[in-house]
Amino acid sequence: MSARDLLPGSELCVHCGFCLQACPTYLALDDENDSPRGRIVLMKAIAEGTLAPGDDDANRHLDQCLGCRACESACPSGVPYGHLLEATRERLATVHPLPVVARLVLVVFASPLLTRAAMLGARVLRATGVATLLARAPGRIGASMAMLASTRRAASRAARAAPAGDGRRGTVATLDGCVMEGLFTAANRATERVLEANDYRHVSAPGQQCCGALHVHAGDAARARTLARANIAAFERSGADLIAVNSAGCGAMLKEYGHLLRDDPQWRDRARAFSARVRDVSELLAAAGPRAAGPLDGAPRVTYDAPCHLLHAQRVADPPLRALRAIRDVDLVPLPDADQCCGSAGLYSLVEPGLSQRVLSPKLAHIAATGAAVVASGNPGCLMHIGAGLIRSGATTVARHPVELLDAAYARTGPSA
Amino acid sequence: MLSEELIAIVGERHVLSRPAELLAYENDGLPGYHSRPRLAVFPGTRDEVVAVVAALWRAGVPFVPRGAGTGLSGGALAGDVVLLGLQRLRRIVAVDPVARTALVEPGVVNASLTKAATPFGLHYAPDPSSQTACTIGGNVAENAGGPHCLKYGVTLNHVLAATVLLPDGEIVALETPRDGRAGYDLLGAFVGSEGCFGVALDVTVRLTPNPESVVTLLADFRSLDAAAHAVSAIIAEGILPAACEMMDDATIRAVEASIYAAGYPVDAAAVLLVELDGAAAGLADDVAAVDRLCRASGARDVRTASDAAERARLWQGRKKAFGAMGRIAPDLVVQDAVVPRTKLAPILARIAEIGARHRVRVCNVFHAGDGNLHPNIPYDASDADEAARVHAAMREVMELCIAEGGSITGEHGVGRDKLAYMDRLFPAASLDAMCRLRDAFDPRRRANPGKVVPARYCREWAGVTDVEP
Repeated sequence: MSARDLLPGSELCVHCGFCLQACPTYLALDDENDSPRGRIVLMKAIAEGTLAPGDDDANRHLDQCLGCRACESACPSGVPYGHLLEATRERLATVHPLPVVARLVLVVFASPLLTRAAMLGARVLRATGVATLLARAPGRIGASMAMLASTRRAASRAARAAPAGDGRRGTVATLDGCVMEGLFTAANRATERVLEANDYRHVSAPGQQCCGALHVHAGDAARARTLARANIAAFERSGADLIAVNSAGCGAMLKEYGHLLRDDPQWRDRARAFSARVRDVSELLAAAGPRAAGPLDGAPRVTYDAPCHLLHAQRVADPPLRALRAIRDVDLVPLPDADQCCGSAGLYSLVEPGLSQRVLSPKLAHIAATGAAVVASGNPGCLMHIGAGLIRSGATTVARHPVELLDAAYARTGPSA
Repeated sequence: MLSEELIAIVGERHVLSRPAELLAYENDGLPGYHSRPRLAVFPGTRDEVVAVVAALWRAGVPFVPRGAGTGLSGGALAGDVVLLGLQRLRRIVAVDPVARTALVEPGVVNASLTKAATPFGLHYAPDPSSQTACTIGGNVAENAGGPHCLKYGVTLNHVLAATVLLPDGEIVALETPRDGRAGYDLLGAFVGSEGCFGVALDVTVRLTPNPESVVTLLADFRSLDAAAHAVSAIIAEGILPAACEMMDDATIRAVEASIYAAGYPVDAAAVLLVELDGAAAGLADDVAAVDRLCRASGARDVRTASDAAERARLWQGRKKAFGAMGRIAPDLVVQDAVVPRTKLAPILARIAEIGARHRVRVCNVFHAGDGNLHPNIPYDASDADEAARVHAAMREVMELCIAEGGSITGEHGVGRDKLAYMDRLFPAASLDAMCRLRDAFDPRRRANPGKVVPARYCREWAGVTDVEP
């Protein structure tokens, strides 16, 4: 059998090399084994059996892939790199198991109960100030505590302007998201408010679970399919016209349920119909305008870093910027290389801490050069990774979700038509 | 042991010797060839390059220099010898906006150089389609071209000096004879030597002022023939476009299906992308003339890019077209032949006829203004019958181009892929002369052995045994 049958999509690669400069790990490591076309060669060789699935070299280079899919945005031939990587990681899962810490995270996230317990623990560390205290400590502990500390928000003002929307744009259920609901609770409520302010009617979707993205990326597609089925059923029950997601990584996953369940005859069509209704929150806001707001206190300088799973996986580029531009007098400055990964990449910052930091450091330098007080990004992983980097480098810039800023602007002045 | 000596110079991470890690270096940008290097070594500084080459010299081991591995003639194939990757040397040492020059290391990416020159209103003119990935060192080795070389000249015309490391470890400074200095143009010999004469440690290039005004036209034709006649008509009118590119229907559809979709008409048999630039005064006359000549040759429509963003899209589509060929079939032969511009129309017709006779799909995307053809044939290599027909057709195409007074390469180089055509193009005495020129730089055949000139034509050829394909 050829690579086309064994690893569908790999036959599209003609090895032109146009992906090289788009790849953060190639730029950091200067080795084609850590580039998209080099990894495709390795994945094909594993699929065809010319390389043993347990080959340490191949596994190391594949493990070092962020999965940011920036190569897909550069590829003229449309190689579905993300799918190739997921298929390969699924193939390798038994012979090349994940580190214990990563497996632990996957187990926790697959269980709503364990997730809630873990998030509660994290919030305790955050509320008691332990996270802030240890945020500058060296090593992994310090980095994790800094990530946690970066999610701290000042208590929101009690009185919010009443939403002005009339709900005519249809009903929207939101994905809570494990980390978003656990650590970015305020951003989740802000998401609901800004959607209402822009004429969507928010409905709840009880029974929803983790999206399964971390599981798919780690090669545990079976568990991801179980989660996907539960989510499809929960959102179907909600009766919502659309599903809004404020976490780019989760949104990309939800939009790919059709692909994830393509071989399941009972769920295939439901999954496709579900995926077709999923939107990033910024897409919904852009479709509605969004309504103008603000200005914000002190008209801060804001810059925007595109989450890879929004820009490259979902191909959503402009809507988050439109949401930010709706804030009156906002001093929105472009961030150089905003299309490059920050190094967060789901579990990556946990399992490849060194390389993750190397990818982050040019990002921090670019942010510092903009002089922005706020860097906006619509994904919890990016917010925490960049946020932690800012704290640990002593910067005063903070990382915020775009809807947090829009919501704060609405809170000051109310949305205007 | 050689690998231990190399590790001592560049560090363990930058010497690859295990089979899995050498897989990615078995080929360059040309699909269809695979040959595994014995070792791959990636020095990070100039001193490390010098030390590595000295170690290889002492060990008597040949090497193949490689930039980004985007070459399209198999020039960076390093079967059983050492692959010397130079992509880590990517420092832009200096940009001099007054002298309009830049001093760069060989691993600097072509597009990065232009990015560094942009704040000064300058750019690096040679713009191969792979410019977002390929390196200046590779460009110098291949004497790379690109769409805008029609007006601005190829790499050779933009390299002012180079510090060259010869395979025996000697470092020589080569400069273009100018300012009244006399002597042979050894730099001219080095540019385009395909890695056979040594390694550039640094290169001084010319930077070109951005034109005051640029207009990009897209003309849409019902036949390749009409588009080819339009090219001849434009040149005959005395207009020198900055670029004049042609794409046929299969290529257009592959690009339009991709992320680089540029808005090319998918029902056209061919499009011409013509760029005119220069002083704003008088440019409108040339634009009107090109528009008129295209329509007179049978263009259905001629439109002009309305802004810089649309111009960039039109160019991105053209430049990424080669990569988009993967959408048509998993394998690809890429060719690069030059024909007299006046014969473009009849030769394109003959190529189409050759393709039809062999039942293969020739996709044309090329520098029409230079008569530099890129007939590409996407195919499925797992189908032995189709593969045989593809190679037979390509041989006929190349023989046709030679018979019509053309050449076998405009910009991709001979590499390994076109070795077999060299003795059809040149008499034995010429090939022997090339070998003797090489002797001046690399008498022991240590740098990129077995490329460019078939070994049997070099009388004094000293005996590397593992180089014939």
